[in-house]
Parts: sequence; C-alpha cells; structure tokens
Amino acid sequence: MMASILDGFCLFPHALAAGLLIGLVCSVLGVFVILKRVVFIGITLSEVAALGIALSMLLQLPPLLGAAALTLLVVVLLALPIEPARLPRNALMGIVFVAASALAVLVVASSGFGLREVKTLLYGDLILTSSHDLALMAAVLIPVLAAVLLFLRPITYTFLDREAAKVLGIKVMGWELLYFCCLGLAVSAASKAAGALLVFCYLVAPAAAGLLLGRRLAVVMMISASVALLGTITGLGWSLHNDLPANQAVVVALTALFVVAAMIRGLIKMLKHS
Amino acid sequence: MPKEPIIICRGLHVSYGRQQVLRGVNLTIGKGGFLPLVGPNGAGKTTLLRAIIGLVRPSFGTIETHFAKEPPGYVPQQGLIDAMFPVPVSQIVAMGLYPKLGWWRRGGRSGKQVVVDVLERLGLSGHGHKGFAELSGGMRQKALIARALVSSPEVLILDEPTAGLDRESQSEILDHLKQINRRDGRTIIMAHHGEDMLNGVAKVVCQVQHGQVMMRRQGHDG
Repeated sequence: MMASILDGFCLFPHALAAGLLIGLVCSVLGVFVILKRVVFIGITLSEVAALGIALSMLLQLPPLLGAAALTLLVVVLLALPIEPARLPRNALMGIVFVAASALAVLVVASSGFGLREVKTLLYGDLILTSSHDLALMAAVLIPVLAAVLLFLRPITYTFLDREAAKVLGIKVMGWELLYFCCLGLAVSAASKAAGALLVFCYLVAPAAAGLLLGRRLAVVMMISASVALLGTITGLGWSLHNDLPANQAVVVALTALFVVAAMIRGLIKMLKHS
Repeated sequence: MPKEPIIICRGLHVSYGRQQVLRGVNLTIGKGGFLPLVGPNGAGKTTLLRAIIGLVRPSFGTIETHFAKEPPGYVPQQGLIDAMFPVPVSQIVAMGLYPKLGWWRRGGRSGKQVVVDVLERLGLSGHGHKGFAELSGGMRQKALIARALVSSPEVLILDEPTAGLDRESQSEILDHLKQINRRDGRTIIMAHHGEDMLNGVAKVVCQVQHGQVMMRRQGHDG
C-alpha cells in the first residue's frame, strides 16, 4: 500500500506540492480567521475567487488575475469602517457569498465549457495542478506567508485588543487591511487548484485543531501547519490509493485530524481533573 | 499652589449620530493628580475618557494635552480584550512596550525584565506564563494595569477598572492606583461607577451627569 501511495506521489508531484503549500499558508492565516470570529469570510472569499476564475476564463484572462481582483475588492469593501446601522457585517458577507456562488455557476453555464471544466472550476482539483500553476501559487503564497509572519506582532495586537492597540499608536486599520489582503490573495491563489471547499477547510480545520491543543500563538500556528501538512499527505495518499477525488479526500482527512485533536484535548482535560 | 495643567478640555461636545453625549465640557486636570470620573451609567464618563485619548473625535471644542509625546497608559473595560487569544499574560503586558519598540524590534532581555518587574509590582509574579482566560477578574484587571504601566507613561487612563470585581479586589486595585499616583507621581484619570470606595484615594471627584461635569471635593482624604 505504501509503495502504491509513494508511486502516486511520484506521478503527481505538483499535486502534493500544491496541497502542502496551500495547506501551510492557509492554516497559518486561518488561526486569525477563527480568533477574529470571521470564519464565514473564508468561504465567502473562496466563492468570490471562484467567480473571479470563471470570469477570467470567459474573458480569456489569467485565472489568478480575476480571482485576486475580485477577492481584494471584496476584502477592501468589507474592511471599510462603515458599520451599517441595521445590518451586521456577517449579513453583508452572506449576501456576497450567495451572489458569488450563483454568479459563478451562471457564468460557467453561459460560457460553453464542458462539464469537466465546470466541475474543476467550481470544486478545484489538486491532481490537475501543472508546474505553471504551482509556480504562480508559490509566487503569491510564499510572500503572503512571509508578510504575515514578519508583521505578526502588530497584527496580533490589533486583533487582540483593537482599542488599546490604537491608543498605543498601532495603525490598526492598516494592519487589518494588510492581513485581509493577504487572506484574499492566498484564497485567490489557492482556489484554482483547491476549490472553495478545500480552501475553506484549510482555513478552518487545522487552525481549530491548533487552538484546541496550543496555548501560545506560535505553538498554535505550528500545530495548525502540521495538521494541514499531515492531512494533505494522508488525504492525497488515500485518494491516489483508492482512486477517490483528491480534494474531498483531503477535506475528510483534515476533519478527521480535527476530531483527533478534540479527543486529545478531552483526554488532557480528563487527566488534569483526575 | 495649583498644579501645572496636563490636560485641558474646552467646550467639549461629543455626539454619536444624533445623540449628544458630552455638552460643553470644560475640565482642567493637573499634573500628578488623581481624578475619578463618577456618575450614572450613560452619563458620558467613558466618552470623556475616549475623547481625551483620541478614540472619539469631538464635534466641537478642543483638548489640549501637555504630556510627553508617548501615548498615555490606557486600561479599557475588561470585556474588550479577547480572552480566547492564545497569548500569555507576559505578552499582553509587553504589548505596552510597542510605542518604544515598534513592529520590528524585540524587547530583548531588558524588555523582558521590565515586564517581570511590573508584574511583580502588581502581585502577578508567577502568572506571566498563564493565559488571560486563566486569571481571575481582579488579576485580569491588574494585568491590564501592568500593560498600561510598562512603558512608564506620565498619564494613566482607566475605564471602570474595578467593575465586576468583589470589594476586596476593588480595594486592592484602588490601593495599587493610589501607590502609582503618590509614589510615582503619575497622573490618573479613571471612570468609576461609585464613590463609596474613593475616600482616601482622591481628594476631588469629577461628577459627570447629562454630558456635563462638576468638580466636587471628597469627604475624607487619606
């Protein structure tokens, strides 16, 4: 079995590299998505990126260009300090989410693409990652991760206690915008290969496991990244061995690892109380 | 002899939309003073503090400050800090060093020592490694005071630092503040929900009501 999985990895090295790269970056960014309680933004941006990719294909533009332009536009709109008096921001995100989901389907339906392209576009497929896709992804995801890690302190302080941070002279709006632009770019770069479902899963499941097990931000991020990498290897290996859809297999592996983390947490709590 | 003024508010008006919260506040706070702002909920105490530290912009009037360039130490209401964050108390306190360090510099050994010293001063030695959620209400408040104190600001501004605490913790916090004011000479302005525990802490209180202020002498002074 191990030999057949390793053969699969050798056959699709770009798929493995793309999964590991997307997993690493999204799992680190996802820690703040959960801490900031904006989980919904993950799936909203993923759907917006899918719409951007669909529009790009229709207009024969590079997919990343459309995805990045649309997600950054949504990020900037959502980051504006305008609090609608009667509506919470989540409601606006919900409207953007449903509109983007429906429009993406309508755009691809009217484009004349085949069913396979449509499915790949909407759900992504790691297996189809080409060396060009991988290079493009790395060119976006590595600087995004570097920026978030470099500015981790002001970003953390901004999210931890916005008001005190402001008094301390931290440019909270700027740091918030930087983080959400990084998130938008990461989601757009990852969406073509990973699709909305897997990108969302990478943002939420590993970070949730990290937060269950870690007590320091750096440790939480390391656990989150490790869960994402392990989930990618096991999920992809499982899909290659059993000829299953890769992205969905990785999602199942990541959620299973989250359940394991929850059980470990429960066990630790039990041992502490006994 | 009157103290040198450190904060002067002239004709201060603050509104949230159509609701006018402060209506022409004139207030002078002397250097090294201890001024509790007292008054009922919704009177405008927090808004006045927020206007002084620049978190809300006055619709009319001016605020003149005469303290050093560094920002004042600020202790927000306890609920504003997210206890779910996986950040130890020592790092929350170290946040107060940000104006001196910026985003690129680490505090180094001296920065760590300053944090340890301020935690010790507030009776939180041995709690620096804990998460904020693991602390009691009184300890959380002391951690926030430690964060405000760590950069040795001239002015300390506190928003209801004893809210939600039992009497013992309230009195402990007020004792710490009294010491910080008398021993270090720091100016303290704080919103406070009642006057019963202020005897011996401050000579005068500022009564805030219907968006206006009135200075009153306290009954006893310790």
